[in-house]
Amino acid sequence: MTASSPRLPRLNKRARSWADGWNRIGNQTRFYGTTLRSIGDAFIHYKTEIARILAEMSLGTGALAVIGGTIVIVGLLTLSAGALVAVQGYNSLAGIGTEALTGFISAYINVRLIAPVVAGIGLAATIGAGATAQIGAMRISEEIDALEVMGVRSIAYLASTRVIAGLVVVMPLYCIAVTMSFLAARVGTTVVYGQSTGVYDHYFRTFLQPVDLIWSFVQALTMAFVVMLVHTFYGYTASGGPAGVGEAVGRAVRTSLVVTVFVTLMMSLAIYGQNSHFNLSG
Amino acid sequence: MSTAIPLIKPMRAVGGFFAVALDTFRLMFVPPFAWRELLLQGWFVARVSLLPTVMLAIPFTVLNVFTLNLLLLEFGAADFSGTTAALAAVTQIGPLVTVLVVAGAGSTAMCADLGARTIREELDAMRVLGINPIQALVVPRVLAATFVAFLLSSVVTLVGLFGAFLFSVYGQHVTPGAFLAGLTLLTGPSEVVIALTKAALFGLAASLIACYKGISVGGGPTGVGNAVNETVVFSFIALFVINLLVTAVGVKATT
Repeated sequence: MTASSPRLPRLNKRARSWADGWNRIGNQTRFYGTTLRSIGDAFIHYKTEIARILAEMSLGTGALAVIGGTIVIVGLLTLSAGALVAVQGYNSLAGIGTEALTGFISAYINVRLIAPVVAGIGLAATIGAGATAQIGAMRISEEIDALEVMGVRSIAYLASTRVIAGLVVVMPLYCIAVTMSFLAARVGTTVVYGQSTGVYDHYFRTFLQPVDLIWSFVQALTMAFVVMLVHTFYGYTASGGPAGVGEAVGRAVRTSLVVTVFVTLMMSLAIYGQNSHFNLSG
Repeated sequence: MSTAIPLIKPMRAVGGFFAVALDTFRLMFVPPFAWRELLLQGWFVARVSLLPTVMLAIPFTVLNVFTLNLLLLEFGAADFSGTTAALAAVTQIGPLVTVLVVAGAGSTAMCADLGARTIREELDAMRVLGINPIQALVVPRVLAATFVAFLLSSVVTLVGLFGAFLFSVYGQHVTPGAFLAGLTLLTGPSEVVIALTKAALFGLAASLIACYKGISVGGGPTGVGNAVNETVVFSFIALFVINLLVTAVGVKATT
């Protein structure tokens, strides 16, 4: 039982890892293509499954349901991020004597930066990681093979339904996230730091741009879409026993964090361009 | 009785978490110390975290600098873009990105590893052999994650500032000299110390949560997956809350 030793071991190894990388990209692309193509199938054949996953995603499972599910978790994350805007923004502005503009910072930074990024992170951590864990466990216990044997289209049944459900869930979720970040910034500035609510509201209302809000909503939708695709892929291809499922979750979270921030950046560059549309200096 | 049961379960989990945390802190100072495991875990966390850290730090700071520079250009104060970049990168993005990566990459892997060992009853076997699993497995992991988070945060800050510089100077036509001169205007040593403290605290919290979730797994492969999922969620929540508190305390302490 001697392993056949190739003539150029190091070169061979490098070539193989390179080819593996390419194959992985190809596999991912194919999986995403199939998932997207099967969305129609999922709508036609697996309506009840979509409804079930929707309920599960919005309320969470297990220990997460006990503390209130996805909605409470994302709300909590954006709440603390909004409070951070109050703390850091108010104090930095107070350094140059313009703390009255904290309302403006909240209307600007929360919409363009904090709410989309934090909501994306929250989505990846709750819904996304949950999907990877579930599908991964199914893969390990060979339930996916069983589905295929029974004639169920496994990608449509597992991945496409989750992508649809993720897109639906993110809509109310993002509304809550934005509201929470505004609320936390306002309460932090007016109650904790004692700025008068009139000053805060004046600058907040003056500089809040409804169009920006709609764009950030589009950003959140895109992120939910990408996050669900990434997480279902890693779950679907999990291998290596219980530890493998955990590792797949870790890898999926890592990838989707990078993708989330990247998507936000690219969309911000595309949407807002080189103009802030504020016309402060007249 | 039936109304009390849903409340008892989360309370028991909180109690269990504090028990593990206390045990960990106590056993840190009790010999024998697991040096080998510490080094292995430290290397492991650093290895899985380094690439995502860089990949996350650059878009994060560029996004930030892009948004804030638009504002500064509007004021006609583009020369201060270095100031905002430094403030954002050092006080918020540095620790936060570190933590997202340490929690997302390092502690998920830790939780998966410990969870799989728990399911295979290796931890029970260790107890039978007279080895305390918390001393042998949890303490080195917690220390390794804390230390690596501490080191990573400076990498994030440096890489982020570098990205911000390139983007501001070549993308938004800020004067390079003014950018560099503005860096230290609002960000001093105290901010750096607070940022490093934050990163270390984050690493500590994330790894404690991961280890607790890992050693209290039950219910087969699904259990491990769920435990990892909960680790991610709980550590992100803990981190955002810690970040808020430490920022508030730090701002009060430095002004």
